[in-house]
Amino acid sequence: MLDNTATSSTNPKMSARDVKVFYGDKQAIKGVSIDIDMDNVVAFIGPSGCGKSTFLRTLNRMNDTIPIARVEGDITLDGENIYSSKMDVVQLRARVGMVFQKPNPFPKSIYDNVAYGARIHGLAPNKAELDQIVENSLVRAGLWNEVKDRLSDSGTALSGGQQQRLCIARAIAVDPEVILMDEPCSALDPIATAKIEELIHELRGRYAIVIVTHNMQQAARVSQKTAFFHLGTMVEYGDTSDIFTNPREERTRDYITGRYG
Amino acid sequence: MTSTAILFLIAGLGLITWVFARARAGRFIQQGAASVHSLPSYHGWYAAMWAVVPAILFMLVWSTVAPALGSYAVLESPLAAQLPTDAFERAAILSEARSLSRNPDVKVFNDAARELAPLYADADRNYAMIGALAAFLLCFAGAAYAFTRIRPDFRARTQVERTVMLALLLASLIAILATLGIVASLIFETVRFFNLVSPFEFLFGLQWNPSDKVVDGQATGFGAVPLFWGTVFIGAIIAMLVAIPLGLMSAIYLTQYASANVRKWMKPILEILAGVPTVVYGYFAALTVAPALRSFAVAIGITDASSESALAAGLVMGVMIIPFVSSMADDSIAAVPGSMRDGSLAMGATKSETIKQVLIPAALPGVVGGVLLAVSRAIGETMIVVMAAGLAANLTANPFASVTTVTTQIVQLLTGDTDFNSPMTLAAFALGLTLFIVTLLLNIVALQIVKKYREAYD
Amino acid sequence: MPANPQTPATGRTKTDWMGEAMQKRIARRYAAERRFKWMGLGAVALSSLFLAFLLVVMVGNGAKGFISTEATLTVDLPAATGSISPEQLTQPRLAATMASIDVRRIFDNAVQAQYGEDGARFFASTAWTALRDQLTENPNLVMSKTKVWLPTSSDIDRAAKDNSTPEAEADYATLRKAGEVRQTFNWRFLTGSDGTDPAQVGIWGALKGSLITMVVTLFLAFPVGVLAAVYLEEYASKNWLTDLIEVSINNLAAVPSIIFGLLGLAVFLQFFSMPRSAAIVGGLTLALMTMPVIVIAARNAIKAVPPSIREAAMGVGASPVQVVFHHVLPLAIPGIMTGTIIGMARALGETAPLLMIGMRAFTTTPPDGLTDPATVLPVQIFLWSDEVNRGFVEKTSAAIIVLLVFLLTMNAIAVYLRNRFETRW
Repeated sequence: MLDNTATSSTNPKMSARDVKVFYGDKQAIKGVSIDIDMDNVVAFIGPSGCGKSTFLRTLNRMNDTIPIARVEGDITLDGENIYSSKMDVVQLRARVGMVFQKPNPFPKSIYDNVAYGARIHGLAPNKAELDQIVENSLVRAGLWNEVKDRLSDSGTALSGGQQQRLCIARAIAVDPEVILMDEPCSALDPIATAKIEELIHELRGRYAIVIVTHNMQQAARVSQKTAFFHLGTMVEYGDTSDIFTNPREERTRDYITGRYG
Repeated sequence: MTSTAILFLIAGLGLITWVFARARAGRFIQQGAASVHSLPSYHGWYAAMWAVVPAILFMLVWSTVAPALGSYAVLESPLAAQLPTDAFERAAILSEARSLSRNPDVKVFNDAARELAPLYADADRNYAMIGALAAFLLCFAGAAYAFTRIRPDFRARTQVERTVMLALLLASLIAILATLGIVASLIFETVRFFNLVSPFEFLFGLQWNPSDKVVDGQATGFGAVPLFWGTVFIGAIIAMLVAIPLGLMSAIYLTQYASANVRKWMKPILEILAGVPTVVYGYFAALTVAPALRSFAVAIGITDASSESALAAGLVMGVMIIPFVSSMADDSIAAVPGSMRDGSLAMGATKSETIKQVLIPAALPGVVGGVLLAVSRAIGETMIVVMAAGLAANLTANPFASVTTVTTQIVQLLTGDTDFNSPMTLAAFALGLTLFIVTLLLNIVALQIVKKYREAYD
Repeated sequence: MPANPQTPATGRTKTDWMGEAMQKRIARRYAAERRFKWMGLGAVALSSLFLAFLLVVMVGNGAKGFISTEATLTVDLPAATGSISPEQLTQPRLAATMASIDVRRIFDNAVQAQYGEDGARFFASTAWTALRDQLTENPNLVMSKTKVWLPTSSDIDRAAKDNSTPEAEADYATLRKAGEVRQTFNWRFLTGSDGTDPAQVGIWGALKGSLITMVVTLFLAFPVGVLAAVYLEEYASKNWLTDLIEVSINNLAAVPSIIFGLLGLAVFLQFFSMPRSAAIVGGLTLALMTMPVIVIAARNAIKAVPPSIREAAMGVGASPVQVVFHHVLPLAIPGIMTGTIIGMARALGETAPLLMIGMRAFTTTPPDGLTDPATVLPVQIFLWSDEVNRGFVEKTSAAIIVLLVFLLTMNAIAVYLRNRFETRW
């Protein structure tokens, strides 16, 4: 895929150029280029197996954990190549946080879950500041009022929607610059989904947010920009309103109108 | 005729019965009988079963009854009248005569046995003959009965399958029987032991100095606390200090860090450690480890170091337990959902931080269950402590001193002739019961923990 | 770095990832990571080094056990036996001729003649039987004066291998100078039985005891274990009896082996008055121990056969028994075999329960039947390890090598079976 579909913003937070991902001999991503900026929520849509989650995981090098995965191309964060030897993966992941499909709180207390990242990265010099970070993160994740009286309860004891917001709070606590969300609502009921979507609205602008979703309504609701993936390529990238009302590509239109997928 | 030969003959007869019955049933089909229920081979099996099973059952019963009948016949003979009246002496002579009648090379101490031996030989021969005849008779009778039942509409398959099901059930019941046998024999002898030594004295007494002496119906020197301590000291403390860190770290390295190739080679190598017989470990501990530790202790100024030390036995036992802990930890860590690991890594945690702060806490119940199982195995382990730990019932926390354990003492008490009236023999069973109960409880608790833990992630 | 260092919402300073303090911290974290990884590698290395050390010690000590030292003895048989005509050495009269020769006396005389008054110290106490065996094998020796090689005493043997008493060292030096001593492969170790002289002992007696015991164990534990597994996995309904069976099996699998010895002692020896030290009792005891292992392995193997196979068989009208015995069991056999071999290997290495039922018989002839007094290889190792005579050290280790070879072979077969026949459904 060439640059023509990558919307170049003036000051992109992250940008990918001609990214290819291989699993062993199989090529999962066939050259994707995209810019992600601070102001917009970017949604990745596409049928399952189209590579949108795989591409998302290259953005904070989570593909490193899969031994047979290999990434080619350039991905930069604030202009630095994240796959260069100078970039430290531990730091990268602190700066590019991630929220997963299934809520995955650690089997620890709610407090310890949120404090986890701050502790390992040494972000709080003392207990008072750590308390502050935990509270702020929970407030911003919209969970504070529900859990402030039971911070020492296990994170796994919360409901599914609460767990996912806890995971978002956990990601926020490290003070990342980008948050990647891999179908964050697919395991949740509609009410919990609505809360997460509301949360994404509020987080917009403070973090660059990329959300993978197979739910087009959700993409339309939460994102300002949308990228459509198909068979390992990015077919189209543009303003969400354009993609949904006036797609340039035939395949995008077919997908959006429900011809396949 | 030996019983093996009889068995083979009966099996042969069973085969012949099978062939004939099958042929006979086969003719129904050739004759075009309207509805043949079962295949000919089922008729064959049915008849063969009738020919073989009753005969074999009879032989089993007969083999337990015949020796008694033989002894009875010998005692009835005029020669036996000269035997001493003392029951013990008489029994000794009879048993010598019997073994002489079976094997002429056996050394005998009573000349009377020499005279009785031919009588025994005769009696045994007679009863063996009677038994064989009866077995053959049963075999033929069974076969004949089955033959009369072969008809086109006879449900031979149902009968055969019913028998198979019965055999399956009986096989399963053997496990219950074995458990009952263990519990009953341990409890029975332990109760007899507690008639001689109070349970309180046994469980809380500090003096272990067993002897055969019974004064006023009470035996002394059976305070088992030093044994319990020695067992815990070696099996649950020293061995675990070796096995838990090494086993856990090995599991972590092999599952989280090692390349597939290293894993492929190292896992079986660790498993070999578990497959080495305990007697080999025991010999190694006594021959190499214990002397080395003693020299070491003397070198650092511990002059009273024993050549049979708790440390030597515990160290080697710990090594033996490593693969056990390692595989339990391996399973527990593998059961932690991958999403937790990903969640931690995605926060920017390093691998070791993820392992220490997320995986291990998440796997902890499983690991704890595994350690409890390992402890249960370690305290029941016998040969290493028998060969390396010594016999001195010391109540000491000095790892270079010699301590003794429950299993060591069981072996010690039962070595040589076992007289089931001696408090020493009975004490071995009381120790066995204690060991049985403790290992059983450890296992139940451990499995419960592991099960709960598995459910939490299912 | 973003232009605004202050994130308004958090009110906290934007983390300076490139700052010196943070870089130092990250370096520290990576150092901890490396340390942890090295600790893991260290644990694996330490465990395998221990295994290597154990094997090296055993092979180092045991290899010498397979070597025996022999010295020459010149025997003038024609002089000692008078004239024996060649006809007397032909078949019908051979046995009588051989029986008439007092080998022991001839041996004693020859030793005194060659090595002096107390020359007996050079040879093993049973060396004359080796001479007898050589004569039996080659009767023509009787016709001439010959030089034969006979096993030396344990002291000389050890002088040849490492170190011994000063006298034996001196004796050995003398023999060596005269070229009258050699070292050969110790066949006797593989074919002989227990004894009091370490130079003369062999493991065949114990090995045969082990084999007989294992046959009994296999014949009892295998059918019972497989049938019980079939019942529990295929037919048992959920009720208290099934629960009881399951609990019993799991319990038996976890009971320390020595408890099985107590069971054997109290039930088989005391209650049923079975013979002490006999292979049949050992086999019974070990069968009870091995059965749960086989049951558990067989259940897993049967469980792994997919339900679709059962449904297919049921669909063509097979009865429940036919389904299992014609379709399920054949597919489960490799798994069952693997479990059985592993269980048998464990039983072969077991010592403690057999000590309880007295399978520590000192027998200089191998057992011939199920009820003969017998011992097994691990118990033989235990008994030799207790011997005071230093000469037994190498024999014990050599016996351990033999035992380990058997166990490793069995385990290798099990692994091979697992890899070869493992089916992924």
